[in-house]
Amino acid sequence: MTAKYTQRTSIEITMAVWKALFLREATTRLSSGRFAWLWLVLNPLSHVVLMMLLYDVVRARVMAGVDAGLFIGVGVMGFFMFKSCALRSVGAISSNNALFAYRQVLPIDSVLMRCLLEGMIEIIVAVILVLGAAFIGMDALPCNPFEVVIAFFLLWIFGTGMGLMLSACAELIPEIGHIADIIFFPLYMASGVMFSLTVIPPMYREYVLLNPIVHGIEYLRYGFFKGYHLMPTVDISYLALWAVTSLFFGLALHVRFARRLTDV
Amino acid sequence: MISIENLSKRYITSSGQERWVLKDLNMHIAKGRSVGLLGRNGAGKSTLLRIIGGIEQPTRGVVRRLCRVSWPLGMSSAMQGTLSGRQNAKFVCRIHGRDADLEDRVKFIQDFSELGKAFNEPIKTYSTGMKAKLTFAMSLAFEFDLYLIDELTAVGDAVFKNKSLKAFNDLADRSNIIMASHSDQTLLAYCQSCLWITGGKAFWFDDIEEGLKAYRGSLPA
Repeated sequence: MTAKYTQRTSIEITMAVWKALFLREATTRLSSGRFAWLWLVLNPLSHVVLMMLLYDVVRARVMAGVDAGLFIGVGVMGFFMFKSCALRSVGAISSNNALFAYRQVLPIDSVLMRCLLEGMIEIIVAVILVLGAAFIGMDALPCNPFEVVIAFFLLWIFGTGMGLMLSACAELIPEIGHIADIIFFPLYMASGVMFSLTVIPPMYREYVLLNPIVHGIEYLRYGFFKGYHLMPTVDISYLALWAVTSLFFGLALHVRFARRLTDV
Repeated sequence: MISIENLSKRYITSSGQERWVLKDLNMHIAKGRSVGLLGRNGAGKSTLLRIIGGIEQPTRGVVRRLCRVSWPLGMSSAMQGTLSGRQNAKFVCRIHGRDADLEDRVKFIQDFSELGKAFNEPIKTYSTGMKAKLTFAMSLAFEFDLYLIDELTAVGDAVFKNKSLKAFNDLADRSNIIMASHSDQTLLAYCQSCLWITGGKAFWFDDIEEGLKAYRGSLPA
């Protein structure tokens, strides 16, 4: 060992790799095409506008006592927090494949950093949308910020956990990626983004509530809207359980199949 | 500086058969010794380099890296095609914890590679020669105690070739090298010892000339 040889600790190496990967992901994500930022904000907004138009046709301006636009908007933001982490993770490994030629960089790092970036983008988009809505005079500012933070955080962790699982599975069985793509639309429909639990007949509610995302989105609305009626069957700890479980299995898959996830 | 204990590597072929590329390899490479890897295509030279480099895990056994080891430098570039040369250079600086003098190193890579404006274009638009130049510049931008070299040869026009040969000689003077190459001339110029890999076994020769003689003798005429 020479005098100039100083060994970095594992934490130092991991932090250096995470920083490098995060910046690498951020530059591609935000510099792809012109106005990349604008599209990030317009995408959820377009969902709100489309759904508003749909509801306007059936003359429902108010949902569960809340302005329909805000109701859907908050739902879309909550769902997107989950979706962009879970779904965009699938491509994280293949789009960084050459970089695993550096032994410091592991597939799991690329997935985690992509989820961190997606989470931050969704938060920034949410802040822009909420402030924008408040600016044009809507009652959009959250009345219980703490609940909002909890709901977003758990949806983010759940998305990351699913992202870890899907990314590992899709590398081993490519069909999984396509199946995940297909499943996300029905999942979007079933996650309570554009309906209130109150419109579901009581006998079907328990089935809708099997979906952990519904709990997160309802809790998010409860945090946003003053006097929002949160059904007693909505339980944020149910989402927390799913989040922790998926994170555990996601990490386990990446550890178990670490050798098979790269092909450099 | 590198110690390898009971190293074995097995691949499972697509038909489900197993093939041992390396079996029970034990070796300790001391400081100040550069090693050439001999063997026919597919013998396991690259595999061994990648295992020493930490990219592939051995099926059995351990590799201890007691010094700073480079990533395997070669023509199959460790660069992401969608990113520009500059972004790749920055990435490599960052993962090696070189944020403090990142700009200097990136500038060095840009200047040495002579890529000009192309340095800011995605790697996938590069020609083979441009990629090789960038690979060469990146490997010179960091100081390692041990360089793993997989068929890295001087590239480009005469001027660039001279420049890179000189830089490479400097590098070989101050660091150690483990090098896979099919060129006797290159191996003799940089290595004192060699390892001949064949049929899953590895034979060590203290003197590279003896190793080359034995290896050449084994080849069908």
